[in-house]
Amino acid sequence: MSASHPRVLVVDDEPQIHRFLAPALEAAGYVPLRADTGEAGLAALATRPPDVLVLDLGLPDLDGKVVLERARRFFDGPIIILSARDEEIEKIDALDQGADDYVQKPFGVGELLARIRVSLRNKAARGAGSPVVHAGEVEIDFVRRLVTRGGEAVRLTPREYDVLVSLAEAGGRVVTHGQLLAAVWGRSHVEDVQYLRIIVQRLRQKLEVDPAQPRIIVTEARVGYRFVAS
Amino acid sequence: MPLADDPRRPDPDALLASAKREDRGQLRVFLGMAPGVGKTFEMLGSARRRKTEGVDVVVGVVEAHGRKETEALTEGLETLPRKPVEYRGRTLLEFDIDAALARRPALLIVDEYAHSNAPGSRHPKRWQDVEELLAAGIDVWTTLNVQHLESLVDVVWRITGVRVRETVPDQALTRADEIEMIDLTPEELRERLAAGKVYVPETARLASDRFFKAENLTALREMALRRAAQKVDDELVGHMRRHGIEGPWAAGERILVLLGGEPFGGALVRTGRRLSDLMMDAPWTVLHVERPNRPPTPAQSQYTAVALKLAEQMGGRVVTVTGDDLLQTVLEYAARNNITQIVIGRRPPSRGRPRGLRASLRRSLAHALLDHTTGAALHIVTDAAGSETHSADLLPRLPRRPNWRGYAAGLVMVFLSTLVAAGADRWMANANLAMIFLPSVLVAGGAFGFGPGLATAALSAVSYNFFFLEPRLSFRIGHFADLITFAVFFAVAITTGFLTGRVRDQARMASRRASVVASLLAASRRLSSVSSRPEAAQALAEQAAATVGGSAMVLLPEDGDLRAAAGSPSLEALGPGAMTAARWAWEKGEAAGAGTGTLPQLEWTFWPLLGLRGRAGVAGVTHSPLKTGDSGEERLLLSLFDQGAVVLERAELATATVETETLRRSDQLRAALLNSISHDLRTPLSTVLGSATTLLDYEPSLRPEVRRDLLESIREEAHRLNRYVGDLLDMTRLEGGALDPKMQWTDVRDVLGAAIQRVERRLGSRRMVRDFPPELSMINIDPGLLQQAVVNILENAIAYSPDGTDIEVAAYEDRSNVVISIEDDGKGIPTAELERVFDKFRRLQQPSDRGKGVGLGLSISKGFVEAMGGRIAAASPIHGDHGTRVLISLRKPTTRIAEAA
Repeated sequence: MSASHPRVLVVDDEPQIHRFLAPALEAAGYVPLRADTGEAGLAALATRPPDVLVLDLGLPDLDGKVVLERARRFFDGPIIILSARDEEIEKIDALDQGADDYVQKPFGVGELLARIRVSLRNKAARGAGSPVVHAGEVEIDFVRRLVTRGGEAVRLTPREYDVLVSLAEAGGRVVTHGQLLAAVWGRSHVEDVQYLRIIVQRLRQKLEVDPAQPRIIVTEARVGYRFVAS
Repeated sequence: MPLADDPRRPDPDALLASAKREDRGQLRVFLGMAPGVGKTFEMLGSARRRKTEGVDVVVGVVEAHGRKETEALTEGLETLPRKPVEYRGRTLLEFDIDAALARRPALLIVDEYAHSNAPGSRHPKRWQDVEELLAAGIDVWTTLNVQHLESLVDVVWRITGVRVRETVPDQALTRADEIEMIDLTPEELRERLAAGKVYVPETARLASDRFFKAENLTALREMALRRAAQKVDDELVGHMRRHGIEGPWAAGERILVLLGGEPFGGALVRTGRRLSDLMMDAPWTVLHVERPNRPPTPAQSQYTAVALKLAEQMGGRVVTVTGDDLLQTVLEYAARNNITQIVIGRRPPSRGRPRGLRASLRRSLAHALLDHTTGAALHIVTDAAGSETHSADLLPRLPRRPNWRGYAAGLVMVFLSTLVAAGADRWMANANLAMIFLPSVLVAGGAFGFGPGLATAALSAVSYNFFFLEPRLSFRIGHFADLITFAVFFAVAITTGFLTGRVRDQARMASRRASVVASLLAASRRLSSVSSRPEAAQALAEQAAATVGGSAMVLLPEDGDLRAAAGSPSLEALGPGAMTAARWAWEKGEAAGAGTGTLPQLEWTFWPLLGLRGRAGVAGVTHSPLKTGDSGEERLLLSLFDQGAVVLERAELATATVETETLRRSDQLRAALLNSISHDLRTPLSTVLGSATTLLDYEPSLRPEVRRDLLESIREEAHRLNRYVGDLLDMTRLEGGALDPKMQWTDVRDVLGAAIQRVERRLGSRRMVRDFPPELSMINIDPGLLQQAVVNILENAIAYSPDGTDIEVAAYEDRSNVVISIEDDGKGIPTAELERVFDKFRRLQQPSDRGKGVGLGLSISKGFVEAMGGRIAAASPIHGDHGTRVLISLRKPTTRIAEAA
């Protein structure tokens, strides 16, 4: 396991996907590994664990969610899901089951590589506990529980602060509605997405330069929100 | 748009008003004791007052009979024009119910409730018109003289000697919301009569003198007052009951009317009704006991049917039970239903007709009831003189066919017996000769019944007396003992005749029952085998036609109206009158047409088909049993209709289920299509996008061969996408019927060559083998469509066959077709899948080269080939256990054949 050349295992049954992903990953400084079926992927994951797992949900032999669930029993590295747009529910299920992020097909390699980068950075940051996060002119100080915008303190309600922190702590990964609601309101409120919408709207009013075109708290349609740090 | 601003939004007040209109209209009856008391005058006066109050009052019909005061009152009131009705060369001006329904006033004045409409009108009686108007939500005021009440007909006749023909069922009066009594003392009325203020037609002048006697008027007045009082009483009782106030009503009175085929059954029913009225509307039941061991005569059946119908009209409950023991059955029924009053008829002995035995049986029933009834009062009604003639009008006597054959046979037998007796005369005792005649009497009575038996007995007696008894050749009777011999002859004839008659009646009844059971069985068998509504309707029509021995039609609802769906013996167009009756039956849920109260002049009678979930349709027959009064046939027909309605409903449900299933399948198909398209389009798109972005982002660091491979990949996937889009477009054109083959004379070999060229690049290491003949007929087809069809088949062959195998494309011709054969050496198609291989989105599991198509290819090929008039078929396996062959067969031009011919 070399830190300079992280190993990326891609599990997908479409040969054409491997055909461009392998050279792209290689060119970006990763070591691409290939598996065409769920079983082969799990075997590769168990024998020589990669640093990142890229998993297609539509596999011919095993349901992608089954692969994810089995993988999570022994693999705690980042998992990025490849999925189609019409598989929203599966996507959210996968995220709630422990996937770190997802990329929607068809995708540009830049998008996937950015997700891989974020997930690897998070993995490194985990435990290190960075006390301050920056996004644009916004700064969040976890230790002092202080949020400033352009140097001036922003007044946030406890709920708003909790949502913001939950998003920021994810470090650029998508956080599903369910995850946010469970973290801030509790398990019994995972269906009450409208609470969340109101809080996020208020947060955007207070933090974004243009609340109509958010750059810090980005909406992932029908899935959740993503905090974009700078 | 906010709701309040919507101009289409109805005004709540208008809504309320219209909701009220949909309720039943209110009926007010101006009741009087006799003509001339001023009912119409009073009604019009009140109506004018309403008019001034702003009520929309319209006069439907008023019979002013030339009285100036009355006519003056109608002035200023809107009056509907009368409808001229031709009847026997005369033009009668009748009330126009359709105009009234179209006009829809708030209050309509309809004079003379008891009026009989001219034949050919929608309803025979005006009270039925009023009923329809009320149902339509129109308030109606009308007038009535008390003697027209159905239940009072007998009483009025007894008092005045006038038998009223224009009657109104009592319910038509009790249903009235208000009764206004118009009262006058008999003296005042007689004064008015003397002053010529009362309209009496010239023809009735004589009768009217008898009618308007003071004592008659007093009696009628009492009846009218009692009726009005009774209405008030009913209202009071109703009010008390509603409010839970203990009242003086005789609780628990239950009246039972027994019908036994008396000609005066109507009087029995009316008595029951009157008793019920006297007992605060106590429930009354009319019971008819059917005795399988003692079948009624046709006349009795008819009397019973008429009386039962009258009972229904008068609001009685009609019950028919079956039991051999009349007394026992009646007592049981009475005990079970807590009957407190029993009405039974008794024919006066003097009027006992030939059926004396039966008359005496009925007498004994009345007596037996007297002996055995406990806890119930017995009302015995004797035949009121006159009801016989009245009933006779209703029921023409059925002609009896004389049994000529029986009489002839009797004559012959007596002749033969005489010859035999003459031969035996020498050595046989005189008295014993009688024994020779006896068999003839026995046989005639036994084989031919009562009449021939008696005739044979008489003839035998005469012959025996004339030829063999002293003094011979004389009709004189010498000894008293001889009379006994004759008596024996007659006794034998009567006994055997009677017995035979009974046996024959029973046999007829049994065979009739058997035929009823058989036809019901046949009907249910026939009906249970149908699966669609048209079939069910047809089966029902056939069975109904067979039952009545006439024509039958079944009408089913369609787009809010009825449509004749089936008919037997044939589906015929119903006239407008018949259609009106059918719609009536449909809308009101009751029989209409011949034999009913609605449009009785028609040839047809229609019944609603009432199933478990409501109305399923309407059935009509000619030769209706309602008209012929055959209650057995009516019951059979009705049970047939019940069965038919249920079957129609079932068929409808089945159709709905099939439709739902089809819809569900097509939904599934659509979902599969979307799934398939999204997956199959996205994979090449992902590759194109991924490869392009890889090149854009990392081009400098990529090796040249990798770069080339990515570009290659982009090109391939773009082609693939193009093919998918083409397939989808082709399919859309096929489905939308927009395919327009451009036929031209074509060499199939050119088309095959071009198709092979198009797939060559995807062959991989598979070999393409061509087998084309040097000569091949030109055919008239669309080369573009054929090429696409072949390409699709070739792509399929490539996708499903492993690398290194052969794909063979051949063309040949036979007498009438050019055939293209495409074979691969792949896994083959399972036999079960062969038929469906040309279906849309049908993709075999795990093709060797996954994801190469949306599963439309072969179905497009099929569509294209068929659009050019060709055929396509697949065969598999062809090489041992593997390989598939697809054959396209295209017709050669037939010009040469045409020339030869």
